[in-house]
This record gives sequence, C-alpha cells and structure tokens, in this order.
Amino acid sequence: MAEHSRLDPHAEAILEEYRAQRPVFEKMQVTIPARVRALLDEAGVVVASVESRVKEEESLAGKLELKGAKYASLSDITDIFGMRIITFYTDDVDKVASAVDRLFEVDWENSVDKRKLLEVDSFGYLSLHYICRDSEFPYRFEVQMRTILQHAWANMNHDTGYKSGVEVPVEYKRNMNRLAGMLELVDEQFSRIRTEINDYRRQVQSLVASGRLEEVPLDGDSYRSFLQLRPFDPLNRRIASVNQAEIQEVTLMPFLAVFKALGLKTLGDVAGLISKYGEPAYQIACYQMGLTDLDIVASSVGPQNLCLAYLLKKGGGRAGIRMMLDTLNGPSEGNDTMAEYILAQAEDFSFMHTKD
Amino acid sequence: MTARLVGRLDTPAAAEVTQEIQPLLDHAGSTIVLDCSEMSYISSSGLRIFLTIRKAASAAGGHVVIQGLSNEIRQVFMMTGFLQLFEIK
Repeated sequence: MAEHSRLDPHAEAILEEYRAQRPVFEKMQVTIPARVRALLDEAGVVVASVESRVKEEESLAGKLELKGAKYASLSDITDIFGMRIITFYTDDVDKVASAVDRLFEVDWENSVDKRKLLEVDSFGYLSLHYICRDSEFPYRFEVQMRTILQHAWANMNHDTGYKSGVEVPVEYKRNMNRLAGMLELVDEQFSRIRTEINDYRRQVQSLVASGRLEEVPLDGDSYRSFLQLRPFDPLNRRIASVNQAEIQEVTLMPFLAVFKALGLKTLGDVAGLISKYGEPAYQIACYQMGLTDLDIVASSVGPQNLCLAYLLKKGGGRAGIRMMLDTLNGPSEGNDTMAEYILAQAEDFSFMHTKD
Repeated sequence: MTARLVGRLDTPAAAEVTQEIQPLLDHAGSTIVLDCSEMSYISSSGLRIFLTIRKAASAAGGHVVIQGLSNEIRQVFMMTGFLQLFEIK
C-alpha cells in the first residue's frame, strides 16, 4: 500500500477510508452511468458520450495535500466518483440536467452553473456541474454536463494551460478566451440550425399531410415524408395484378436523384408524374411481364416504369434511360444494353402513339 | 464467398438450391458473389432465392454482388424492379 509521507495523519485517515471504500465507488461507476444512459435513451436525447471515472489514489492524495483540512471525512469530497455527459447541442445540456435531476437528489448548494458565472464581457469555461446523491450509495458524486465544443475547449485549455505547471502569459489566456467566445457562437448556431431544420420538417409534413404538394420543394426530407403517404402503391398494385404477383417492399429513396435529374422541383411534380404517366408505366409492365409467369416484383418497379415512360415520351432516348439506370444501379455497360432493350420495345407501347 | 449458378434456376431447381445456400447464409456478413455467367434462365422461385440471400446479407452487414448476368436474365431483373436490389457487375 502506498505511503504518502507528505500527508498529515488526518489526510492519511481519509485516504485509508478511500482505500476501504473504493469497491463502493467502483460499483457506482457501473450503476450510475447505466441509469443515466437508459433515461436519456428513453427520452430520445442523443449525447456524444457519457464518461465516468473513480479518482485515483495519487490524485486524491494530491488534493488532500493541498486542502485536506477542508474535509472532515471522505463523505465531504464530492468528486471521488465523477461523471461527464457531453452533448452535441447546447440546448441538450439543460435536457440532460433535467434527466440528472429526475434520477438523483441534487445538492443545489454545492452545484454550479458555470455558464452563468461569467460576466457579460468575458468568455471562458462553460459547464454545468451538479453534486448528486443516489439513495443506493452513501457518497455524493459530481456530474459535469457540457457540449462537445465546450469539452474540446476545456480539454485544450487544461492540457496547455495547467499541465506544464508554469504560469502562462496573459496573451495566451486572452487567445484561449477569444476561442471560447467563438465556440459559444458556434454552439448557438448549431442549435439554431437544428431548430430551423426541425421547423422545416414539421412544415413539410404539414403541407404533405394537407395535400399542398406543389408548395413543397423536392428534397430528401420532403420526399421521405411523401413516401409515408405511399404514393406509388396504387401503381405497384396495378402492375402486380398483371401476374397476381407479390410485391417485395424496397426503399424508394434512390429515385429522388432520378426525379431531380428529370427536372422535378416539387412533390407536386412527382404527384403529377404519377398521375400523368401511371397508365404508360402500367403498359410497360403489361408488355414486359404479361407473357411471363413472374409472380414477384419489387416496389421499385412502379417508379422505375414511371421514369421510363416519362423519358420515352419526352424523347430522352438512350442517354436518358442510361442516366436513369446508372443513377439507380450504378454505372455499368449492362445499363446501356437495358436502354437498348427498352428503346426496341418502345414502338410497341401504345402510349408512344398518343399525344400528351 | 462465391457461388456459381449453372443452368436453369426454375422452380424444381430452386427447391434444390434452397437446400444448398446455407453455407452462403452462414457467411452473410461478408461479400457474397453470385456468379451467373452460366445461368440460362430464372423463374420467380429463383428471384426469391436471390432475395433470401440479399435479406440475410443485409441483416448481417454484408452485401451481394451478382456477376455475369446474361441480357435475358438482366431483362427479368429489370422488368421486376430487382435490378436496383443488387450490385450487378
């Protein structure tokens, strides 16, 4: 067992208590972070990491050497077990704090919101520190909550500012604080962007739900919402009925790139494509599958035939069909062969002989 | 892992192949190559076997590559919408 000759008998007694109680702290390290993770998962709060540690003996001895007289017993030291929860967004620090408050008894007198300690004209370490108690354990513990950018700043500041043990020049401190100010702005911007994206998604979902598709720009989010309405199902069911086929569900997200390449700008344009080219798409399926006994199709067959019908009707030719197949399947010479195969059939499609 | 499919993959053959694909499914977490350069025909039952292998690979984090498709079989994949389900070389 290590002897710390620099410690007075009182500090040595606390250290002895620490050695005896270390298994308790190790049990805290297993139990407490798991409970935090479970509650955050349940609440849908995604965090960058949950870190924890039990203070090493050397570190505690150093603390006791500096301010051992301040502590009557081991119970007065609140950071033997410590946990750090790193969030992506500044808004989530408060959500995490609320989860910690629900799970544990927070010692408000000793907890610190360092985000509020800084003056209006100063920048620096921002973090929320709670001192907590869990009824299962006799010792309090510390929970630090901060964003990933605050965490990066704090680590860099600690690493270069304190580790050397040498007082650093004022200019260096000023530069670090300038960075802290900048990162605070970046944190705010990330949160703002997330809020705006969520607002946009809600707006798109509302427009899609109300059928105002022509007002919704075609993009990844809006198309995903649109797919929830299952707009290609009627066409796929019609195509499947040719051979009483089963429909194998597959993702239709890859068609977004094709629709954009065809010049469609809004969900209304996609709905228009389905409405206008649904019959030609069905005709293609009838022609190709009618004389086969194929009784399985993928749900991609509907949008695929819609795009083919559009390209054939608009004179997209071999290059257009090749573009579509390359986009969906990845570039290959086989796509060229398939484009020729479709073009060779096109004369037989009745929709090719009718006017728009 | 590579599997070579030879001849007609029709309903009777598909029943036989279903018994034989277990080693492929056991390696579903890796890249499975289905060499179809000597396959002359595929029925719906054959497509379902391809689908079974794809699902197993997808669940295990692997993927399926099909190579050597003849034009006729490629057309079957296209008309059923299956062309987009696989990496085809």
